Amino acid sequence: MIALLAHLTATGYGPWGDGMARLFLEPTELLLVIALVLLAVQSGGPSGDRLPLLLPLAWLLGGLIGLHLPAELLLAVTCTAVVAAAGLLVALGVRLRPRVLLPLIALLAAGFALVPGSALAGHPGALAALLGETVAIAVLTTLLTQLLAPPHPRWRAIAVRVGGSWITAGSLLMLGWLIRHPQ
Amino acid sequence: MTRIHWQSTVLATAAGAQALAPTAAWAHADAHPGGGFVTGFLHPISGLDHVVAMVAVGLWGAVLGPPALWVLPVAFPLVMAFGGLLGLLGVPIPGVEIGIAVSGLVMGLMVLFELRPPLWLAALIVSAFAVFHGHAHGAELPAGSNALHYSLAFVIATGLLHLVGILLGETRRWPGGRRFVQGAGGVVALVGLWFLEQGLT
Repeated sequence: MIALLAHLTATGYGPWGDGMARLFLEPTELLLVIALVLLAVQSGGPSGDRLPLLLPLAWLLGGLIGLHLPAELLLAVTCTAVVAAAGLLVALGVRLRPRVLLPLIALLAAGFALVPGSALAGHPGALAALLGETVAIAVLTTLLTQLLAPPHPRWRAIAVRVGGSWITAGSLLMLGWLIRHPQ
Repeated sequence: MTRIHWQSTVLATAAGAQALAPTAAWAHADAHPGGGFVTGFLHPISGLDHVVAMVAVGLWGAVLGPPALWVLPVAFPLVMAFGGLLGLLGVPIPGVEIGIAVSGLVMGLMVLFELRPPLWLAALIVSAFAVFHGHAHGAELPAGSNALHYSLAFVIATGLLHLVGILLGETRRWPGGRRFVQGAGGVVALVGLWFLEQGLT
């Protein structure tokens, strides 16, 4: 099956499936979701419980707005820097209060989703692709929050911080690469 | 319950690796054969000087014990990536290869003699060497459309080398393990010394 949309990889399952696959083929978006989940889990409290609902909804909202933007947003450097910062918060073991963390997550997710939304704008099947990616985010977020939900042993808390460190490190290298090779 | 969690972890890891693995089906296929996940993963493993130094970080962390056991593997990738950023931006750092060789020598000696400086000093030493390692690899990061795959794989491989060092270091709990770890530190120091000699001549 031929890919119907630009910025999507043909999976053979139509725009919906292509949208789901996009999350796993666009590492920046995947890393942001993982970093936000790790941050919420690390912060504890109700943040982790509310994340599986909040994150996909914010993503969908941002994506829908992005679909109506007149031009594609090219914010690779900004997005990569945001992912690096989110990973750094995890690596440093920062714990944010829910009233700070949850709006921050919603803002970041919605802001990030503007990019894929604007990239898909004007293409047939764009809405289905966006919904597919949103569902993929919901599933991933739910699985990760359940897997990492506290209380957890000490080694898992360390693994979360190491994960944040890896996300930041990968993003920093990507940032340098983007600056060196402007898109 | 623990078993279920373990299985879930394995499945999630496998799914993540599968998702990140490069395939020919990607729309944005590599413009450069070195731009993918596999190449990035193999890069740190292919250089012996980098390998021994990364294993030594884990070994030394195990010798130092908590919290250094996990502080060093968390700090190293961050600082290494900062060094990589400098390398990518073309910021020169003199004596990078010498610094990498010295890192193996110094950390090998730390493990060999079971030196236990304060945590801040250990982190400072490791971080200083991390800049050299990162700079060398950052300068070599190939132009390709999957640079993030490459970068992530590179960092993960480095982290796994730390884990190998930690696991080897944990054998200190076993009879004869302490001598084994010291011996491993000696081997790392010798390899570092060899690379230092190569770098100076």
